[in-house]
Amino acid sequence: MHSVISISKLAKHYQVPEREAGLKAAAMGLIKRRYKLVKAVDEISFDIQPGEVVGFLGPNGAGKTTTLKMLSGLLHPTSGSTSVLGFEPAKRSHDYLRQITLVMGNRNQLSWDLPALDSFDLQRAIYSLPIDDFKRTRDEFIELLEVSDLVQKPVRNLSLGERMKMEIIGALLHKPRILFLDEPTLGLDVTMQKRIRSFIAEYNKRYDATVLLTSHYMADVEALCKRVVVIHHGKLLFDGDLSALVEKFSAFKTVGFTLDNHAADLSQYGDVVSVDGARVTLRVPKEKTSAVTSRLLNDLSVEDLTVEAAPIEDVIESVFAVSREAVE
Amino acid sequence: MRGLRLAINYLRIGVLNEFQYRANFYIQILQTFIALATGLIGLNLVFSQTNELGGWNKSELLAVMGVFIMMGGVIRSAIQPNMERLMEEIREGNLDFALTKPADSQLLVSVREFRFWQVVDVLTGMIVMGVALSQMNRFISLWSVLGFFSAIVMGAVMIYCFWLVITSTAFWFVRVHEIANLFEGLYAAGRWPVDIYPNWLRYGLTFLVPVAFAVTVPAQALTGRLTLQTWLGALALTILLFTVARAFWKFGLRSYSGASA
Repeated sequence: MHSVISISKLAKHYQVPEREAGLKAAAMGLIKRRYKLVKAVDEISFDIQPGEVVGFLGPNGAGKTTTLKMLSGLLHPTSGSTSVLGFEPAKRSHDYLRQITLVMGNRNQLSWDLPALDSFDLQRAIYSLPIDDFKRTRDEFIELLEVSDLVQKPVRNLSLGERMKMEIIGALLHKPRILFLDEPTLGLDVTMQKRIRSFIAEYNKRYDATVLLTSHYMADVEALCKRVVVIHHGKLLFDGDLSALVEKFSAFKTVGFTLDNHAADLSQYGDVVSVDGARVTLRVPKEKTSAVTSRLLNDLSVEDLTVEAAPIEDVIESVFAVSREAVE
Repeated sequence: MRGLRLAINYLRIGVLNEFQYRANFYIQILQTFIALATGLIGLNLVFSQTNELGGWNKSELLAVMGVFIMMGGVIRSAIQPNMERLMEEIREGNLDFALTKPADSQLLVSVREFRFWQVVDVLTGMIVMGVALSQMNRFISLWSVLGFFSAIVMGAVMIYCFWLVITSTAFWFVRVHEIANLFEGLYAAGRWPVDIYPNWLRYGLTFLVPVAFAVTVPAQALTGRLTLQTWLGALALTILLFTVARAFWKFGLRSYSGASA
């Protein structure tokens, strides 16, 4: 099968002006600016097959948004190549733009004072959609997201989650084949996140669309993405099945207990994750879990001992921790 | 053709939007009335001292005022709001949405906003022009009508190009909001025909900020002063400015990277 998105050694560097805090430094900056080279994306490569939903993960500033912007043609790569549906995104050809969409959870494009329906009409004009097709798609999405009573209200009167539903409908009216979703569930409550998630899954299924999704909510990733691509400091760390990621990096378990006296040195048992009053949380290598717990019970007077598998958030965190040591 | 349809769609949305704010309509009428009153008082003050100003008599200057009010309405309804939104979006990084659409980006950013109530100024300007024309008691030839309308269109395009170039500098300087105030100040000079100003200011208002072409030249057409030479000059300058503005916009776009990148 031919891949729909193909990225090879893609890099984006910025020259960022740099100065120290304070008035003097600011004044000096007027005369002579020092620049620092920031490698926002540093030679990453991956391919995505048609119909795949791929989670694009990394901490803030990892280069996710920069990559998405390069893929949607907003930024020119410093080096490397990108090919999406056979197009070079940076050329921003209309034939390309017609087949993609970009949704950013922290920004909105709908007219604030108007009902979403009016903004949808604008999308129709922008994409020159035939009226029948447009109406069918619009009504289909409205029904899927159950928002028929909301599309007539001015967008400003909607809640954050309702507004996001409208944004997504607006962004998909032209039935794009490629979806770049940057934090589409940002700031939404759990129920709303689920609705958006299932809608994306449904869209992917119905139209065989390819989705590249970034999210800080691992629930989004777990529910939607079989495969994840992890980047950090602009470099690619992991590309493969989500389950393999967990397998590979979840080498730890979390041991929690309540302690009577604080005298003991806890670091001999494992990494101290947190001490909250008398409650202590340790991170312990998987294979040492039983040894550590029995030692804890012998050595100290502990209560309420619990052993849990590391949550996926922590798995991701440990991926970044491991890589930081490897990179630096 | 697609561009026109897009513009009409945005126009429709703009009108819909404005109808939600009825108060703006009344405020606009009040503003227009005050501007008209102060303009007329100024004109009467000048003509209580003299019968002529730089070769223009009272009713001819009334025609200039009419064009001034009308063009002001065009600028504030269709040009300035789009450019102010563009500045805002460049600053906040929201321009991304416009740039991922399969439409000419310059066209798209130039038609998205429309302040319908400013049309009050356009109508008022037309009425003032009508009164001025009836006072002048001149025969109006087809040529002066054509000259007038073409001069209005060219003038508006030139003002638009000026705004687009200034706004595009936001790609590098990010904060250019003060420009709007600066423009208002300079545009106010268009209340009088540019021939009454000293040379340096006249050239400035002609070639730097094309107020002369936006107001004085259409008024020349109304008052039978427009020469073919001026008209051709206006045409050439319109084409030149448009080419420059478009090139500059594309140049700016290339350096655009998104505020939060």
